[in-house]
Amino acid sequence: MISKKLLFEKYGIYIFLLILFVCSSFLSPAFLTPQNLRNIFTPAATLGMVAIGQTFVILIGRGALDLSVASVMATVTVITSMNTHGQDALLLPVSIACLLFGILVGLTNGLLVTKRKVQPFIATLGMMVILQGVQFLFTKGVPKGTFPPFLRFMGTGSLGPVPVSVLSFAVLLAFAVIVLRKTIFGRQLYATGGNINAAIISGYKTDLIIIVTYMISGLTAAIAGLYLSGWLGISDNWVGKGYEVDSIAAVVMGGTSFQGGKGGVFGTTAGVLIIATLYNLVLLLHFPLHFQYILKGGAIILAAAFYARRVSY
Amino acid sequence: MKKALFLLTAFAFFGGLVTTGFAAEQRQWDRASLWNPGTVKMVDTTQYKKNPPYKIGFSNAGISNSWAVFMHQEVQAEAERHPDLIKKLYVTEAKGKADKQISDVEDLIAKGIDILIIRATTEAALDPVVTRLHKKGFPVITVSKGIKSDNYVSFVDASNYVLGRMNMVWLCEILKGKGNIVMLGGWPGAGSVADRKTGADEALARYPGIKVLDYQYTHFSATEGKTVMQAMIQSYGKKIDGVWCDSGLQGVGALEAMVEAGMKLPITGDQLNSFMCRVQKHNFKGVMGAYPPRMGAEAVKLALRVLQGESVPRHFNVATLVSTTDETADIKADVPWDKLAQPDKPDNWWLGHTLPEKWLPY
Repeated sequence: MISKKLLFEKYGIYIFLLILFVCSSFLSPAFLTPQNLRNIFTPAATLGMVAIGQTFVILIGRGALDLSVASVMATVTVITSMNTHGQDALLLPVSIACLLFGILVGLTNGLLVTKRKVQPFIATLGMMVILQGVQFLFTKGVPKGTFPPFLRFMGTGSLGPVPVSVLSFAVLLAFAVIVLRKTIFGRQLYATGGNINAAIISGYKTDLIIIVTYMISGLTAAIAGLYLSGWLGISDNWVGKGYEVDSIAAVVMGGTSFQGGKGGVFGTTAGVLIIATLYNLVLLLHFPLHFQYILKGGAIILAAAFYARRVSY
Repeated sequence: MKKALFLLTAFAFFGGLVTTGFAAEQRQWDRASLWNPGTVKMVDTTQYKKNPPYKIGFSNAGISNSWAVFMHQEVQAEAERHPDLIKKLYVTEAKGKADKQISDVEDLIAKGIDILIIRATTEAALDPVVTRLHKKGFPVITVSKGIKSDNYVSFVDASNYVLGRMNMVWLCEILKGKGNIVMLGGWPGAGSVADRKTGADEALARYPGIKVLDYQYTHFSATEGKTVMQAMIQSYGKKIDGVWCDSGLQGVGALEAMVEAGMKLPITGDQLNSFMCRVQKHNFKGVMGAYPPRMGAEAVKLALRVLQGESVPRHFNVATLVSTTDETADIKADVPWDKLAQPDKPDNWWLGHTLPEKWLPY
């Protein structure tokens, strides 16, 4: 017999999201229009991509998180604009280079955390700052170049009524679900997060699992960077700003615990939608932009207090 | 009135020539002095006189947008032109954080600088530390983003009031005095942004038929410009008749949002190349008041004058220019828009700099 409390904890975040959508459509008539929903979902898809990678990392547990994702996105933007020269032909090799870059950053993070035993907060924070410096060194603070038309299509275009970035996110989500639930890696990741000592005794290569997880986070951040630069179309230093905090917030709101071993990407998706909806609502209701922070913080606390899965001892 | 305006724009045209590096001679007079209808307020700097060589400190609010980078380079490039007078130039940037900038200033003082040039993150937060220095008899020059109080030696900029005002006058005239507009401001709390809004509000007061639907800050970011504009389009839709931006930095994002929404509204900005090129490319009606990054170089030159005991104007207003795709009764293009927009130059290129090859951020 499933208790109401358990149902609430398991599905609370989705209920919260539904209530938010309903309230928003009452508060602002512009909210439920197809164009507005497209405006919300298109950049939310990129946040979703980053948050998927972040989910993997936070599942490791014991304070694991990835603060370098926003810097990866911004660097990918700069690499793309400066090397494609606005030509579609160069897009594929440059994109592959960007993805490899993301994976490399993840590899570095993973090695620092496992081999040098650096706290993930410090390791990824350091990486974030280093990347910012590298980016400035590369661009001298003034990003150059333009984005190819195909990338712009990926970022802003639609296939039928659905934005391309949303479709891409859906594909990434499907991959993530399969990896987490249907592969040995996924099982071992949950085990590592749940109880790392038991995982080690069971013979799991926990170091390898952790490193691969950070590489996944770097990869999703690079993918998100490509889509976001396609959406903006202008090489801007501020691409991806705040995505590290937002992605962590989305993951935690979605029910994945910092303790590790509990949670998943569906909850994260709900978290991403909540954040994106709140941001949009602030603007539709003509509140000053800074209200976004207040609402986001409030939503995080609310979610943590009422809906996030409790850790059982 | 018309004659004065004609002379003013002619002067601005020549100022524009200098700004774009065409004139051979260096300008000696700043606009606020030369054109001042009253007496020019000068500051006596004999108390700051020192023997060269000097140590100069420059505290920058941040280099988070390309204009700030160009201006940052201007300061350094100009310092390099005076090796006999300047022993060392210390440069800091505060990443847009007021508390970091306060400690940057204190670090610079600890290094024993002779004069401080500061571009303040916010006019309020940096006021106490600058006031304290000024009252102790330490010379401070503010540039681009100033402080709230009067406790500094001189302020170097290209008038933000003029920029805001001219942009708004153009917008109101192009809308023939009737319509709804939205306003996208830059960095919240910055003196320059507040002044541009004040200038714009002064203009608005004369057009009762123009209604402001919303004013939002965008941190001078194209990303935020696009997001905010999209939301405004969602809320107000076809009610919006025009867009006032105090810079092309967010203006270019707002433009993107309008292009995607299939809207073509008159828009204001500054001389950022991507803004000017895209306005032209998409056939928008636009105006821009230039905000030359070379004010950084002028600040250094002024600092040297102060340290040599020469009196300086209280307000050093760098010559600037205005351009538009569609002229109105009061706003004329000093130089045609298509001569200023340079599609072959990078997006993040700024007119109004004097950087030699070595110092170009490219």
